[in-house]
Amino acid sequence: MNASAWHMLLEGAWTTVWISGISIAMGVTAGLILALIRLARIPVVDQLLVLYISLARATPLVTLALFIFLSAPTFGINLDRNVAGILALTLNTTAFNAEIWRSAFRNFSREQREAAMAAGMTPWIIFRRIMLPQMMITSLPGLINEMSFLIKGSPAIAVIGIVDLTRVTNRISAVTYEPLPPILVACALYMAAIGSLVWLQRIAERRANRLAV
Amino acid sequence: MFEKNTSEQTASEKTVPDDAARTDRTAVSIRHLSKSFDGVEVLRDVDLEVREGDVVTILGSSGSGKSTLLRCINWLEQPDSGSIHIGGQRIGVNDAGRPMPVRELAQVRARTGMVFQSFNLWPHLNVLHNVTEAPIYVLGKSKAEAEAHARELLEKVGMSAKANAYPSTLSGGQKQRVAIARALAMQPEVMLFDEPTSALDPELVGEVLAVIKDLSAEGYTMIIVTHEMAFSRAVSDKVVFLDKGLIIEQADPETFFTNPSTERVRKFLEREVI
Repeated sequence: MNASAWHMLLEGAWTTVWISGISIAMGVTAGLILALIRLARIPVVDQLLVLYISLARATPLVTLALFIFLSAPTFGINLDRNVAGILALTLNTTAFNAEIWRSAFRNFSREQREAAMAAGMTPWIIFRRIMLPQMMITSLPGLINEMSFLIKGSPAIAVIGIVDLTRVTNRISAVTYEPLPPILVACALYMAAIGSLVWLQRIAERRANRLAV
Repeated sequence: MFEKNTSEQTASEKTVPDDAARTDRTAVSIRHLSKSFDGVEVLRDVDLEVREGDVVTILGSSGSGKSTLLRCINWLEQPDSGSIHIGGQRIGVNDAGRPMPVRELAQVRARTGMVFQSFNLWPHLNVLHNVTEAPIYVLGKSKAEAEAHARELLEKVGMSAKANAYPSTLSGGQKQRVAIARALAMQPEVMLFDEPTSALDPELVGEVLAVIKDLSAEGYTMIIVTHEMAFSRAVSDKVVFLDKGLIIEQADPETFFTNPSTERVRKFLEREVI
């Protein structure tokens, strides 16, 4: 591979990293918000969220990306392909993250919540100071699992013309007629990204051990 | 020094006038309290007055409603009817007779401190921060002020050496002593103890009871649900006996343990080794 091929590969890798990064950050936050709304069991809203979660979990990422990108002009929206890609990844991962957060809420120790209530804490303080710090650690294995699924599923956004790390290997091999080297490098880069997530997970697990009362 | 640490003391010794904390003001007033779970009545028209500085122990068999009564006092359980006042303020229901907004309810709850059977420490916080959390985020104390007070309280319960330890590294007795310090840190008007020694190994019970006895000597108002008869006799100003959700006997400890007026209490005491 020549210098320009390396340059293209790194550019593709960067596209995968920033699009996935933004989608992960938005998906984790939106998932938490959805979980909170679902816990409030607001009629109609709750049913709508259940419908969204079922649809988003059942739709393949490629189909979702195509749908968003192609249907936007129908609603008079001129959607940038990167925005459409981020939207597809976020809508998909949010649905899974919402379920992870919801189960962390449901499994949270009633005793600890009661101790906080007895100490005069309001629900917001209990959430922010007692529940969230622990839920972040206990949910992290599930969330990181979902993050690595997102990264591995991210080549789907190539379908709307985004040149990500996988797509770029095609382009390079079209010029060099040597498909193997760029694909091997791409594999290594994916492994590095997911490896760093797994490393994060290990740290979280070590901290989680302390929570085992 | 006023001491209530031995079971040999008589009721009259317990009400000696030099007890500065003793006043006739009511700390907790419970009127006509009833509560059912799934159609089963667990509390039936309970009335109870606790004066400031008094130590009241609640005895009774398992399922008699004693823990539920205690948990109603800080509204962890909502009674079906009746009223509870803490320091003259009604809990759970506002002046208009409506359920209290959560913020207001939290403020009334903060006037009580609770110690649970299973300690319920927050495992992500070390011992010191378990004690400072509520004073900082509920009372709005500065970190420095809260920590200084927390260290005093940890000293009092004999846990200052473990200030930086996490709950998972502590024994049950140590956890419970931290939980007592955590409740005291809010400077509550009344301390509620829900079977504080029931989850402890027998050899750890003594250290926790000793701390509670010290608090009683300092004049804290306390309501204690317990199965420890000798402890109840030594520490109480009043013993309350609950049976099937009814208070069937309220008396000073000497009368209660030596000359109970009901057959039910007599039978209960016969089964217990005092």
